[in-house]
Amino acid sequence: MQTAPSLPLLSAGPVPPAAGSATPWAALDEPAEWEGFSRPAAGREGWWESCLAIEGMHCAACALTVESVLRKLPGVDAVQVNGVTAVARLQWQPQATRPSAWMAALRQAGYGALPAGDLLLAGNRQRAQRLMLWRWLVAGFCMMQVMMYAAPAYLAPAGEITPDIRALLGWASWVLTLPVLLFSCWPFFAAALRDVRHLRIGMDVPVALGVLIAFGASTAATFDPASPWGEHASYDSVPMFVFFLLSGRLLEQRLRDRTAGALEALMRRLPDSVERQEAGGSFRAVAVRRLVPGDLVRVLPGQAFPADGDVESGESRVDQSLLTGESKPLLRRAGDGVIAGSHNLTSLLLVRVRRVGAQTRYAEIVALMEQASLEKPGLVQLVDRIASPFLAAVLLAAAAAAWWWWPFGQAHAMAVAVSVLIVTCPCALSLATPAAMLAGAGALARRGVLVRRLQALESCAAVDTVIFDKTGTLTEDRMDVVMAYTPAGVDRDEVCERAGALARQSLHPVSRAIAARFPVNASAPGWVASEVEEVAGRGLRGKVARLDGSDARYLYLGSAAFCRAPVPGRDAPVPQAHLSDGEHYLAGFELDEAIRPDAAQAVAALLQLGVRVQLLSGDTGQAVAHLARRAGIEWCFGECTPEMKLEHVRRLQREGHRVMMVGDGMNDGPVLAAADVSMAMGQAVPLAQARADFIMTGNRLASVAALLAQARRTRRVVRQNLLWAALYNAACVPLAIAGLMPTWLAGFGMAASSLLVVANSARLARYPREN
Amino acid sequence: MDILFLLIPLSVVLALLIIGALGWAVWRGQFEALEQEAERILHGD
Repeated sequence: MQTAPSLPLLSAGPVPPAAGSATPWAALDEPAEWEGFSRPAAGREGWWESCLAIEGMHCAACALTVESVLRKLPGVDAVQVNGVTAVARLQWQPQATRPSAWMAALRQAGYGALPAGDLLLAGNRQRAQRLMLWRWLVAGFCMMQVMMYAAPAYLAPAGEITPDIRALLGWASWVLTLPVLLFSCWPFFAAALRDVRHLRIGMDVPVALGVLIAFGASTAATFDPASPWGEHASYDSVPMFVFFLLSGRLLEQRLRDRTAGALEALMRRLPDSVERQEAGGSFRAVAVRRLVPGDLVRVLPGQAFPADGDVESGESRVDQSLLTGESKPLLRRAGDGVIAGSHNLTSLLLVRVRRVGAQTRYAEIVALMEQASLEKPGLVQLVDRIASPFLAAVLLAAAAAAWWWWPFGQAHAMAVAVSVLIVTCPCALSLATPAAMLAGAGALARRGVLVRRLQALESCAAVDTVIFDKTGTLTEDRMDVVMAYTPAGVDRDEVCERAGALARQSLHPVSRAIAARFPVNASAPGWVASEVEEVAGRGLRGKVARLDGSDARYLYLGSAAFCRAPVPGRDAPVPQAHLSDGEHYLAGFELDEAIRPDAAQAVAALLQLGVRVQLLSGDTGQAVAHLARRAGIEWCFGECTPEMKLEHVRRLQREGHRVMMVGDGMNDGPVLAAADVSMAMGQAVPLAQARADFIMTGNRLASVAALLAQARRTRRVVRQNLLWAALYNAACVPLAIAGLMPTWLAGFGMAASSLLVVANSARLARYPREN
Repeated sequence: MDILFLLIPLSVVLALLIIGALGWAVWRGQFEALEQEAERILHGD
């Protein structure tokens, strides 16, 4: 790295999609997009039904405001807004209104909205919730009623109740236990049946078995009081422990749905757009999903290719490292193939689309990644492995206890067996890890950190070194030209405008800053650049001429070495760009990166957690050190190539450190993948999002420290949960086998231990606190 | 005491009716968005 200081062109900041049509919602107006969030309304010809996720709703009153905003629009009807889930459902007529109109109206009222096709399917979730609530209410109500029928038997002195009244009470109890058994218990039976069919033992097998045995014994006692089952039927215990079990399930379901909802909400976004050539030859932004093979699209440097295709014209370098592992940019010219998800680095390409959507290589790779993300965390796998033999042992223990107690009375033996079956249900054990991790992830999602892999939350707790990338991560993705200087005898305005025209051809932050500062048409008749080529990490070159073609000059804009002209020695700890015509130095630009306002605070918070913080960047050592000082980072290293970054991370790992990498996600793909835990900034390209473990959607650096703290809290809660579950089973199983635990207490203990685990996990949802 | 032979079956029937009523309430969404409906009266339209 003895070369001259270069512009941080290689570590390009996040690049937003090309500015599309007038509003960001215009893409939603295309009928092909409607399917994404709408469906034809049932029973209404010509009407569509849509779902929107509303942002910025805080209370029930907001829901009513949103409702009235949407109702006032022409062609919109049947509006329902749910204040709890922040979901709007509406029906509309394509002749009278367009989705962009609702979006604009909501924006005007101060609310954001995103199309939410997934919510059209959420009816299933609502059904499941309602059904569960009903089951729970039935179990609770029947429990109460059966308890009333059982009370006389407990309270009245022996012999005071006549046998016929006793039989009547027994039948009444039996009738009211039936709905509990057939309706409320159905989820347990269904799951147990599924397990039995697959010849495995699940959590619900002992529960179902216990319920059936208890009910069977009580039935026998009721209809044949002379049987050895005794005349004392224990109906009251069945509805009671079913009620306890369902209470646990209900709370668990609520927690899971809330977390899942928070995670899904963050996955919703407006459709990505791409510039496609229309019939007239002009380019127009359309949704990527609308591309069909044969389309011609324009891909600017810095953008990702939206589909697999062949280069029609242009010559550029292409970064496929995230897809193929090929770390060097590849040259692509007319006739060569490009793959979706790879990046165009250096200059504009026209690409003829060959394959789209699910057929692309990118989609295949993403599918593979998604499969990987479904992996269960290691601890869960461990628990699953233990659970099966454990359950088999429970069944054996119950049978053994029944055999042991049989001589002392059949009814008592059965009660003991039921207690053993119920009390040992390892719900708490199997809930311990996923409940905590989901609660932790859900809280993070609300705070602007999206967890891509739950497993990563586990490894995140062990992180002791955090490495930041600089551009686009610690700094904002925007630069400003703070100074422009020209040697004597050069027309300052003219060269600056030429630089602006050249810079417009690139999406690199430095170029964008220069282009924004010096508009091409500041002086008539304006400037235009042609034959532009971008050399990654170095600069741009191309011909800049007046719009009418006169006054053409071939210019270089970039690092000092790239400009091939003697650069006057100026020493500044900020990035610089230079302009030359290959022989003469024409202008220099000093740029400063805006450091993120909360960078120093975030670094301080990390240091307080006892984590080492480092800064790696491809930028000049001086600029990096300057920034590190401002952010409060002691250890920094500039002029890193991606390979050097990778090597650095590997060395730290060899030394036994657990490394977390925070980057913009564009060039850092391999480094992000090599680190134990990776985090990417939210504006990063979609593919990088797929690769990082965590996505920072809020772009608040403070969330890095929040994430680490949350991961540690989650690990603590998981350990507490596992310890509790183990202790509970160790204490209760012997008690139940010894016959010291009545059935109702077994049900209560089981439900209480699950609830304790769920409640302990729910504590995580309170963190990290909003500031 | 004979009245019990009428009252107990009656209470069973009543309990079953109440179970049905609970189902009706659940499926009508009576337990969802509780605050929103309360606010509606304050929201003059």
